[in-house]
Amino acid sequence: MKKTLIGLLALSLVFSCKNAEEKDKNTEEEKTQEVNVYTHRHYESDQELFKQFEEESGITVNVINANADELIQKMSMEGEQSPADVLITVDAGRLERAKSGGLLQAVSSKTLEETIPSHLKDADNHWFGLTKRARVIAYAKDRVDESELSTYEDLASEKWKNKLLIRSSGNIYNQSLMASIMVHNGEEEAKKWAEAIVENMARAPKGNDRDQVKAVVAGEGDLAVVNTYYIGKLLNSEDPEEVKAGESIKLFFPNQDGRGTHINVSGAGVAKYAPNKENAIKFIEFLISEKAQKVFAHSNYEYPINEAVAPAALLQEWGEFKEDTLNLSKLGENNKKAVMLFDEAGWK
Amino acid sequence: MKQAGNNSDIFSIKARLRRLKRDTNRWSIFTLAIVLFITLPVIAIAVKLLEGPGETWWHLVDNLLVDYIGNSFFLIFACSLLVLITGVGTAWLVARFEFPFRKQLEWLLILPLAIPSYIVAYAYAGVFDYGGSLDLIFRFLNLEFIRIDIMNKYGLAYVLSISLFPYVYVSSRAFFLNQAGNLLEASTMLGVGEFKSFFRLMLPLARPAIIAGLILVLMEVLNDYGAAQYFGVNTFTTGIFRAWFSLEEPETAVYLSALLIFIVFALILIEKWQRKSVQVSGNRASRYIHRKTGTRLMQNLKFLLVLIPVILGFFIPVAQLGYWAFLTAEQVFDFNFIQLSLQSFGIAFITSLVTVLFATLLIYFAKWSNTSGIKSISKFGVLGYAIPGAVVAIGIMIPTLAFDKWFIVTMDSLFGIKTGFLFNGTLVALVYAYSVRFMAVAHNPIESTALKVSNSIPDSSKMLGVGNFKTFFKIEFPLIKTGILSAMILVFIDVLKELPLTLILKPFHINTLAVKAFEYASDEMVMEAAIPSLFIIFTATIPVIFLNKLLIKD
Repeated sequence: MKKTLIGLLALSLVFSCKNAEEKDKNTEEEKTQEVNVYTHRHYESDQELFKQFEEESGITVNVINANADELIQKMSMEGEQSPADVLITVDAGRLERAKSGGLLQAVSSKTLEETIPSHLKDADNHWFGLTKRARVIAYAKDRVDESELSTYEDLASEKWKNKLLIRSSGNIYNQSLMASIMVHNGEEEAKKWAEAIVENMARAPKGNDRDQVKAVVAGEGDLAVVNTYYIGKLLNSEDPEEVKAGESIKLFFPNQDGRGTHINVSGAGVAKYAPNKENAIKFIEFLISEKAQKVFAHSNYEYPINEAVAPAALLQEWGEFKEDTLNLSKLGENNKKAVMLFDEAGWK
Repeated sequence: MKQAGNNSDIFSIKARLRRLKRDTNRWSIFTLAIVLFITLPVIAIAVKLLEGPGETWWHLVDNLLVDYIGNSFFLIFACSLLVLITGVGTAWLVARFEFPFRKQLEWLLILPLAIPSYIVAYAYAGVFDYGGSLDLIFRFLNLEFIRIDIMNKYGLAYVLSISLFPYVYVSSRAFFLNQAGNLLEASTMLGVGEFKSFFRLMLPLARPAIIAGLILVLMEVLNDYGAAQYFGVNTFTTGIFRAWFSLEEPETAVYLSALLIFIVFALILIEKWQRKSVQVSGNRASRYIHRKTGTRLMQNLKFLLVLIPVILGFFIPVAQLGYWAFLTAEQVFDFNFIQLSLQSFGIAFITSLVTVLFATLLIYFAKWSNTSGIKSISKFGVLGYAIPGAVVAIGIMIPTLAFDKWFIVTMDSLFGIKTGFLFNGTLVALVYAYSVRFMAVAHNPIESTALKVSNSIPDSSKMLGVGNFKTFFKIEFPLIKTGILSAMILVFIDVLKELPLTLILKPFHINTLAVKAFEYASDEMVMEAAIPSLFIIFTATIPVIFLNKLLIKD
């Protein structure tokens, strides 16, 4: 027992050191090209893409995975000496926060500017969208008729009392939705809306987006507000029960007759003090290339930002939809106010 | 009269100076140095308090604070109750009685700790969910109308208790195994019944050990984030995250953290004050309890009783994770996991050595300083555990980054050498952070066994001219070994599953199993997180079995 343990220990130390050494080597040989990525995206597909980029460009990708909030905090504390080159988040709000905190820099890249629609990137080119997701309504096929649904605003109407499922206000996707409603309808109306939504909730908010769908299927409520790609994942889950849940609901894209459905992006920006700025730009350009966008679209059920790439077959089945073209920077600017309105409305 | 008063004033100043001079021995200085080193991050955060709360503070007070306080106190109360019953009950049963599979159960009872509590929360939600395991069983039995909702504050209290009770189990068992033998023998000889001697004798004696474990549980309960957030229960810690990140006001978050620390401090003080009223005399009885066997029926009954928390805290979550792992194995499993396990193992092992070393030094330096003020100050060393890991990480970065930046500038201006960070982004900063965070986990079990060692033997040894260190190694160390081993097990497991701090401070090329599990779980890929979680449990099992053997042999 003792011997095995000591053996294991020795082995584990060797492994921890080996990696540390590799890092040293990288810093010693200045010629080694690298790019340091702080990312909030934790998908397998991303790792494959990073590997592909390494093979094609010969630039090593070093990754720190954490929540965007913490990454932003880390970057701002590291200041001028920060090793970060690229910041990737899963929503535009946080990119905007990084920008206003002086953590990103403007980048001039024809490829980026031409490929990405203007409302999905920062006006000053501090950050760029990588993939799109829409926040939509999932409804029980057997209990709700599509004609009853229309807009986000309509979710506040009395007919949905005790029928609505939506997660907590701590979630950034809800915060962004709220911010968009604030921008379009004004603070006063937005607060009233939030209060009415709280009244309509089938249960106190809890769980994640997938759980809201499962609760609809379990009959706790009739409608759930969710991001599109979670439905894609539900339908392709390894758990047959989840697939069944995904199959018993239908999606509705709200506000089609008006401003369009609320969307958000996962996006990237180049760090203000990036030690490898050129590599960082190459890296982001690679991520919006057709090849990379195909991977995003097919493995993760996100809408590609590069219009030359078609969405996954499943997403095509849901049909095309009109998207809200509000510049996503607005979501970041109004995020804090949105959270405070949530609190005042008693949205947990 | 007047003159006399003046005189006495002068006297008292002189007396104070004299006392200060007497107390300024090298042990007090060493103690202060260690405390300073460990609390540096906490101090760095506390300095922010001076900046005043952010403008959202009153918004928070008006809208949310009542909810935070209510939920947090509910959790403190409910978890204390559940954890005490389970932890002390099982510890007593395995220490006092013989029954089938007792040896295996002894270490199985530690293992619930090896599963991160947010993963336990996910697993339980997976059991009780629509389409979950229980639902499938009910459907099979045509009982599908039954649905139990576990995602609320009661469910949260249950999940946290069932995954954290081993803290109480480990510390109270160490006491029962090591200290209770003689007294119990005496009380049985005097004809005191089993129940009476447990409640009237053992419980009061074991109190410091039990409370030491309980405080660890409560600190962990108070700063749980993942499980509370998933179950939709707003606590102080979810509030800290909300203030810091959603409301973009670190200052307000620091105020909330300060309130949290205040609560923990109040708990520690209450315990201290209570302990004083029950002075336990130094008893170094090292004789083992002679285990009672009893009838076959009673043996089986005890077996079942001890088995329940093992099933609830370990087998049910592991079974659910195992099912998910089976479903996702094809996509997720990868031989890198073995390398990842070894890395996690190495980091956890180094950290547990470092932390236990610091904790022991802290306790004994304070003791040797022989100064009550220093002894109280040494208690500040455990504060890191009361603060959420993410906040500790920030606290670590404040001083280390200041040093690193100074270092870069100096090297550049003096020698023209371009360097990177010396500490940040290296294992050193990570291990330092872990030690700060888990000092309490190491400190409490060691201290509660150290308290039990009577001063008379080391004192006489010192009177004979033997130095502090030699006395420690010859006499005290063998007596507190159980405490040290328990501390090592606990720190090891805690490091293995630690998350927010690791995410922020880890070097680029080092990864841990907990980070891997989080990468999946954070994006609603709970099923995919099962395989790395099982690896965490497996990696934790090895030292638990091994150290437990040492603990018993001792």
